[in-house]
Amino acid sequence: MTQPQHLESRTQHVRDTWGKRCNIILYMSSKESDFPTVGLNVSEGRSQLYWKTIRAFQHIHKHHLDDADWFLKADDDTFVVLENLRYGLSKHNTEEPLFFGRRFTPFVKQGYMSGGAGYVLSKEALRRFVKGFAEGLCTHNTELEDTGLGQCMETMKVRTGDSRDVMRRQTFHPYPPDYYLPRQLPRRRPWYLLYEHYNPVEGPGCCSDLAISFHYIDAVGMHTLEYYTYHLRPYGYKYRFNPDLTD
Amino acid sequence: MKALGARSAFYVGFVVGTCSLYLLLSQVGFTRNLGSPKNEAHVKSLLEMIEEENKNWKKERSALFNLNHPHHTGEDGKLADALYKRVRILCWVMTGPDNLEKKARHVKATWSRHCNIVVFISSVDNPDFPTVGLNTKEGRDQLYWKTIRAFHYVMEKHGDEADWFLKADDDTYVIVDNLRWILASHSPEDPVYFGRRFKPYVKQGYMSGGAGYVLSKEALRRFVEGFRTKVCTHTSSVEDLAMGQCLEKVGVVAGDSRDTLQRETFHPFVPESHLTGTFPKTFWYWNYCYYPIVQGPQCCSDLAVSFHYMDASHMYLLEYYTYHLRAFGYKYRYQPSEPKVIHDLKAPVPDKMETGDSEKKQGVEALEGEKQSSELHEKS
Repeated sequence: MTQPQHLESRTQHVRDTWGKRCNIILYMSSKESDFPTVGLNVSEGRSQLYWKTIRAFQHIHKHHLDDADWFLKADDDTFVVLENLRYGLSKHNTEEPLFFGRRFTPFVKQGYMSGGAGYVLSKEALRRFVKGFAEGLCTHNTELEDTGLGQCMETMKVRTGDSRDVMRRQTFHPYPPDYYLPRQLPRRRPWYLLYEHYNPVEGPGCCSDLAISFHYIDAVGMHTLEYYTYHLRPYGYKYRFNPDLTD
Repeated sequence: MKALGARSAFYVGFVVGTCSLYLLLSQVGFTRNLGSPKNEAHVKSLLEMIEEENKNWKKERSALFNLNHPHHTGEDGKLADALYKRVRILCWVMTGPDNLEKKARHVKATWSRHCNIVVFISSVDNPDFPTVGLNTKEGRDQLYWKTIRAFHYVMEKHGDEADWFLKADDDTYVIVDNLRWILASHSPEDPVYFGRRFKPYVKQGYMSGGAGYVLSKEALRRFVEGFRTKVCTHTSSVEDLAMGQCLEKVGVVAGDSRDTLQRETFHPFVPESHLTGTFPKTFWYWNYCYYPIVQGPQCCSDLAVSFHYMDASHMYLLEYYTYHLRAFGYKYRYQPSEPKVIHDLKAPVPDKMETGDSEKKQGVEALEGEKQSSELHEKS
């Protein structure tokens, strides 16, 4: 999800770092361009976010439904580790109505997924989302893109998945790592932890080794995270192929 | 009567309002218990943490001796463990009484756990932390005095317990496993030291203080001997430069710490600066680096050893980024060959390390690295 003003300051860095790891990447904007961006029939602004999301998914459903198995929405300031997303999704069937992300609890009974942290829909979930709008079961009832989508998912009986790893650590993150990692427990809980569906953890247990996304990552952050994920490592360790298996 | 009626109406109204608000919020889903169970869990885990620490560290003679090389489940650390036994590193961290809580504590909790021995050098003795108090004051002008005394101290107390002696600041983050990789192909009996090499003032160059530098046992011996024979004295308070001058005088070689693709491993700034920053052309750094400066993604080895100006949060962040965060199933593009010493793993550790010709080994490694690197060069 991007906009014309952000192409140089943000989207370009997505393209230079993790964007190339997607099987297909589409830059959704209000205007078509040679970036290349897809021009949706919307205007820009926070109040238009849900319209953009609806139109984006409708576009994907129309043109790319058979080109992929899973459909990830991310912002132009979200950093995504595609390999970890593929690993997390590999256990699930895309013909099931499922969607994954950072599960938030209020407003929607089964919970909804944080928009900034990114969320991914199965093929069946995408079909149902588009069907919901086609049949009038889902409408543009809010400006909040993530809440709105969550409500539509619930209406269309698409289930929320649990994206945590085997040690119950979160993989999708609506804030950068420094919001969670260096905190210590005895202090007043910040507001954003109230939204958490699963018990919020701060400090080293906050974030899976196989983290999938971080949000509010600027251009510098994109390249730095790229280095940290795909380059920097300690010599002499071999991570086992399947971290789920214990000795 | 009327007033009483109004007041009770107010109270009733208040109570009704509060209850409705509570009901409303719980409908919407804001019922999370933030109360005591969490605190209990936290207190328990604090005790567990202290127990853990006692299991892993032996506090003796104001130093911390590492009892277990830390690594996590589900991971094959055989190579790192072998290097840990083979390449023993004593890390001494330059700190001060005012920084124990702000900085040194976080060093203790993160990267220094990977050293074989850790000593925290201060101006004041603190047996609990523990820190060693040298007979100095605090302040930038005391830095070289502290360094001189620190090296003398570790030579005297721990000279036989380690092969290499690393100096770091309390805002330096060091990836000790990568340091072992570099040092494994050198002998501690060689008079050599490694770090981020700067070129001015000293003919063979000197190592940046902030980025950290590591002396071989022979280099340390010569440094201490140099002061005994007055070949070296306290020439200036610019600690890294003065070290460089002394070490050159006593015949210690300034080593090349770059990896097999000529990428720097010791870094005098934060990763963001090296990876994405553009230093102005007038910045001193351009004239200081001994080797050509590379900015952007090729600035920093995959097996980086140190970064400087890292605050407390960054200590924990770097620990996560280095030892935890990774892409599942991803094969790292940079695959340098193992250091030669590892192949002799079955042989018992001799009293004197084999003095191989380290330049030749480096040359061989460089060639092998280049063969693998044809696909490695990424677009900057």
